[in-house]
Amino acid sequence: MSIAPSATLSAWRAELSLDFERRGDRTVLARRQHDGPLLMQKALYPEGDGVCHAIVLHPPAGIAGGDDLRITATLDEGAHALLTTPGATRWYRSSGATARQVVHLHLAAGACLEWFPLENIVFGGALAESSVQVHLAPGARFIGWDVLCLGRRGSGDHFDTGRWRLDTRLHVGKAVHWMEAGTIEGAGDALVAAPALAGASVTGTFMAFAPDLTDAALRELKARCVAAVEPVGAGAGQGSVSGLPGLILGRYLGHSAHEARSFFIGLWQHVRPAFYGLPATEPRIWKT
Amino acid sequence: MAVTTEQVLTSAGGLPRIAQAIPAHAGQPEPAQAPQDLTSAAGLQRLLQLSSPILPVGAYSYSQGLEAAAEAGDVHDTESAGGWISGVLRHSVARLEAPILVRLLAAWSRDDEAAVAHWNERFVASRESAELRAETLQMGYSMRTLVQSLELPGAARLSRIAALSWPAAWSLAAQVWRVDPAQALTGYLWAWAENQVLAALKIVPLGQTDGQRLLLALSGPLAAAARTASELRDDELGAFTPRLALLSARHESQYSRLFRS
Repeated sequence: MSIAPSATLSAWRAELSLDFERRGDRTVLARRQHDGPLLMQKALYPEGDGVCHAIVLHPPAGIAGGDDLRITATLDEGAHALLTTPGATRWYRSSGATARQVVHLHLAAGACLEWFPLENIVFGGALAESSVQVHLAPGARFIGWDVLCLGRRGSGDHFDTGRWRLDTRLHVGKAVHWMEAGTIEGAGDALVAAPALAGASVTGTFMAFAPDLTDAALRELKARCVAAVEPVGAGAGQGSVSGLPGLILGRYLGHSAHEARSFFIGLWQHVRPAFYGLPATEPRIWKT
Repeated sequence: MAVTTEQVLTSAGGLPRIAQAIPAHAGQPEPAQAPQDLTSAAGLQRLLQLSSPILPVGAYSYSQGLEAAAEAGDVHDTESAGGWISGVLRHSVARLEAPILVRLLAAWSRDDEAAVAHWNERFVASRESAELRAETLQMGYSMRTLVQSLELPGAARLSRIAALSWPAAWSLAAQVWRVDPAQALTGYLWAWAENQVLAALKIVPLGQTDGQRLLLALSGPLAAAARTASELRDDELGAFTPRLALLSARHESQYSRLFRS
């Protein structure tokens, strides 16, 4: 890794678009289009025909200033896909241009999508914008997470300059049901201010969104997720779970992306059977 | 004011230095301006009424995460309470709630119900936890009930908004009572700060005089928040306060609590 292409000379545009369809009992990848260095490795079926697992690959491994990445996944009625990435997404220091990644996830009625990218690692001095827009039709159910590492603690690279802008929204039809948009300025005091990051270098959000779930079912599921908060500890991180209408929100704050992921996998193991009637078995790629 | 509250709150001398942050004339009456006309006097009266703790919307029952921050040890004395409140103000309220209030005030004055619906939805969707969401909806509901009981002209417009937030309902009242929008923003922020300080007095607990010191120390940050709120572009708007979100979520199952958020 780590020799970042210079921002202006080799800014990359890359686009990946995936369409999943339900055919009988099987979810198939009906269409795949890509332009530039964003690829999908072959569709896998580790848990049978119903769920198509797909690994989204960005061969350059890092995103430099000026790069523009777009990922779109569209799930037809009743399709079920699980998307993940083979490694962390690295956002390199920029000499002035802003890098962008925009993800659009469209779920038709009754579709199920699990969006589990590995963590974003934002180098000191990176100028970056990350947008994840999830669009649900009635009866669709989404589980996803977003893990953010500011700087690289192990390498002594601090996020004391640069800017990270995130914009995550869960849409139902034309309405925005839940969203989080904000900017972290490396030079500001957001990294240390108590209500913001309070000194943590890693933060993460887990979202399990099923607008059709009854309030009673959601309360019961939330109670089981709250019990999963307690084991978080090895990296001295902290977790929490909140239950909003149709939505379970998990939060992690600490210093370890691995710990954040373990916490979120713990939540997923409660949510997945409740949402989809399926056990949560970790994709093999997470164990390599 | 030359000395900022951040300097006051973080200086080695801590709170005793607050006195130095207050301009010499602070205790004196303002120099007489041209006599205020009836309209602006009435506007000020309505603003004071809307910013008052006796406005029957239940604001006193919410700490917006401060009680959970005390439970976690983040808030334990006057200085840490000031640090927490000014942190929430700077990183959340100034970048989300206040600029949305500015847009709502402008939208009501244009009678632009689509823009009101847009910013109201944006605010409700941006609540980070169940308690923060429930808080703004309950206060919005209570404000609508008050607007209806007082038979203010905008009652019907409020009824058309399904999930009505506190800033959307409050800004309607400010608009129909002809409160100057810049003053309305100051009054709204003041009421927020006063409510946070009141929560700190009960939770930490702090003495009454400490509460007054905190309010004095928050003057600069409140003015800065109003400036930020007026200057932010739409695409810059938004708050990212994960520890506030985490603590607020934990408050849902906190063993012992006085407040509903």
